[in-house]
Amino acid sequence: MIDDLIDYLGNPRNRETVRELLLVHARLSLVPLVLGLLAALPVGWAAHRFRVARALVLGASNVLYTVPSLALFVILPPVLGTKILDELNVVVALALYTAALLVRPVADALDALPAHVLAAATAVGYRPLRRFLTVELPLAVPVLAAGVRVASVSNISLVSVGALIGVGGLGQLFTEGFQSAYNPPIVVGIVFTLALALVVDLLLVAARRLLTPWLPRRGRGQRVRPLPAGVDVRGATGSAGGAA
Amino acid sequence: MIEFRAVTKRFPDGTVAVDQLSLTAASGKITVLVGPSGCGKTTSLRMINRMVEPSGGTIVIDDLDVRSADPPRLRRGIGYVIQQAGLFPHRSVLDNVATVPLLIGWGRRRARARAAELLELVGLPAAMGARYPGQLSGGQQQRVGVARALAADPPVLLMDEPFSAVDPVVREGLQDELLRLQSELGKTVVFVTHDIDEAIKLGDAVAVLREGGRLAQFAPPAELLAEPADEFVAEFVGRDRGYRRLSFVDSGGLALHPLPTVTIGQPAPRQQHWAVAVDGSSRPRGWLAPGVTVDGPLAEGALRPGGSLYTKGGSLRGALDAALSSPSGYGVAVDAGGALAGGVLADEVLALLRSHRGAS
Repeated sequence: MIDDLIDYLGNPRNRETVRELLLVHARLSLVPLVLGLLAALPVGWAAHRFRVARALVLGASNVLYTVPSLALFVILPPVLGTKILDELNVVVALALYTAALLVRPVADALDALPAHVLAAATAVGYRPLRRFLTVELPLAVPVLAAGVRVASVSNISLVSVGALIGVGGLGQLFTEGFQSAYNPPIVVGIVFTLALALVVDLLLVAARRLLTPWLPRRGRGQRVRPLPAGVDVRGATGSAGGAA
Repeated sequence: MIEFRAVTKRFPDGTVAVDQLSLTAASGKITVLVGPSGCGKTTSLRMINRMVEPSGGTIVIDDLDVRSADPPRLRRGIGYVIQQAGLFPHRSVLDNVATVPLLIGWGRRRARARAAELLELVGLPAAMGARYPGQLSGGQQQRVGVARALAADPPVLLMDEPFSAVDPVVREGLQDELLRLQSELGKTVVFVTHDIDEAIKLGDAVAVLREGGRLAQFAPPAELLAEPADEFVAEFVGRDRGYRRLSFVDSGGLALHPLPTVTIGQPAPRQQHWAVAVDGSSRPRGWLAPGVTVDGPLAEGALRPGGSLYTKGGSLRGALDAALSSPSGYGVAVDAGGALAGGVLADEVLALLRSHRGAS
C-alpha cells in the first residue's frame, strides 16, 4: 500500500496532475464561497428586516439545500445554457448552496446586534447603507465567520461530487482510482481534500481574528485590562461633602 | 432654542406617547424632561433629531423646522448621548469620538486630533484612545459617549438617561462633570431622566411629564419644589422636597460662630467643649470630644469623624446638613480653599429660612 503510494507520487506526471487538480478544487470551492457570501448578505439583510421575507427566504434556502448536489449539477446546464462539462455549473451550484447556508446566519447575526449601538449609529447621522457596511456588517463578523467556516467545508467536500459530471477537482482522483481499481489516487485525493479543508479553515479563523481585533482573545488575559497607574477615573468631582 | 409646538406622537397601535407637548428649551441652558416610564420623554427627545417622526405639531430648532431637514444631515449637527453610551464596539475609543467629524468630511488626521482634544476635555487620558470600548468601565464609556456627541461642536446636545446605568458614586461625578462642561461650552441641552434628583441638580428648567405624554409642569427646579402645580408633580418630586428646596435658598446672612480648635500633630489640652481638629493648613479633619485626654501630639485616630462640610456662601441645604450631621451640633463651615471658617447652628439656619419666608 505504502509502496503503491510512493510509486504513484514518484511519477512526476502524477504529481503534476495532483497539483493541478488541487488548484482546480480550491478554485471550485472558494470562488462559490465568496459569491455565495456576497449573495447571502442582501438576502439575509432582507430576511432580518422584513418578517414576510424572513419566512420566505429561510424556507427557500432550506429547500434549496436539500436538493442533491448531483441533481443540481445536472439541472443547471439547460437553465444556464452552459455545456455539461462547464466549470460554471459547479460554481453556480456551490454558490447557491453557500448562499442557502449563510442566509440564516446573516439574518441571525443582524438580529442580534445591540439596539443601543444601532440607535447611536442612526443618531450620529449614518445613512442606512453606510450604517450597514461600516457598523452592522463588521459587528456581524463573528457570527458570520462561523457560518462561512461551515460553508467552506461543505463546498470543499461537494466539489468532489462534480467528478461524476467530469468537473470535480480532486474528486477526479476518486473516479480514476475507482475505475482502475487502483487505490493510491483515492488515498491521495482524500488526504489532499482534508488538507485543503484544514488550511482554508485556518485561514478563515485568521481572517476572522484580523477583522475582529476588538474581541477579547479566548484564554489570554482578562477582558478589562487594568488602568495605567495614576488615572483618576472619576476626575474632579468638586463635591461639597467631606469629612470634617 | 428648541421649540415644541403642540407636538403629538401616536403610534400605529393607537397608543399616544406624547400629547400636545408645547415647551421651549432655551439656548445655552439645560432643559430636563423627567417623568415615570411611559411618559414619552425619550420619544419627545427622539422627535428632535427625527429618530421618531411626530404625528402632529412642529419642532423648531433656531427657526429651522426639523421636518424640512434631511434627517442624517440634521443628526450630524445634534450631539446625542444614549443610555449605556452606545459606543461602536469594533472601533477604538479615538475613532468612536471621531465618528461625526469623519461623517461630515473632515480628513482622518484632523478628525483624530479633534477626538484627542475631546478625550482630554471629558477627563480621559489620551492613552485610552487606543482601547476598545469593551475595555473601559461603564463610567469611562459614558464619558466617551459625551466626547463623541461633542466632537463636531454641535450647538445642541440631546442626552437620553446617559448616567442611569452607572453606580451612584460615578453618576454623581459624571453629573458634576457635565455641569462643569456646560459652564464652559454653553450648549443647548435637552436631558431625559426618570430621576427627579438628577433633574433638579442639572436642570435650568425641568419639564415634568406624566403618563400618556402630557406636560404636568414646566418650571425652574426651585419653583417646582416650592410650588408643584398639582398632586402628581408634588408626589413625583417626592417627600423631602421641602428639604431639597433649601438647595436653592441663599445662605447670605447666616452667622458663623468661632469654634475652639486643636491642631493635629501638636499637644492638645483637655477640652471643655467639642473642638475642631485641623491640619497644618487649617483644614478640618474631625472633632475632639470634650473631656478626652490626649497623650503626646494629637493623632487622627483620637478624633470623632465629622459631618458634611458647608462651604461659606453655599446653599442653606449645605449649611443645615452640616449642622445636622455634626456630632457637636455645630456644622463646620469652610472657605472656598477648604480652610475652617467657623460653625453654623441648625436653629439659625431655620431662623434664616423663616426670615426669607417673611420677606417673600
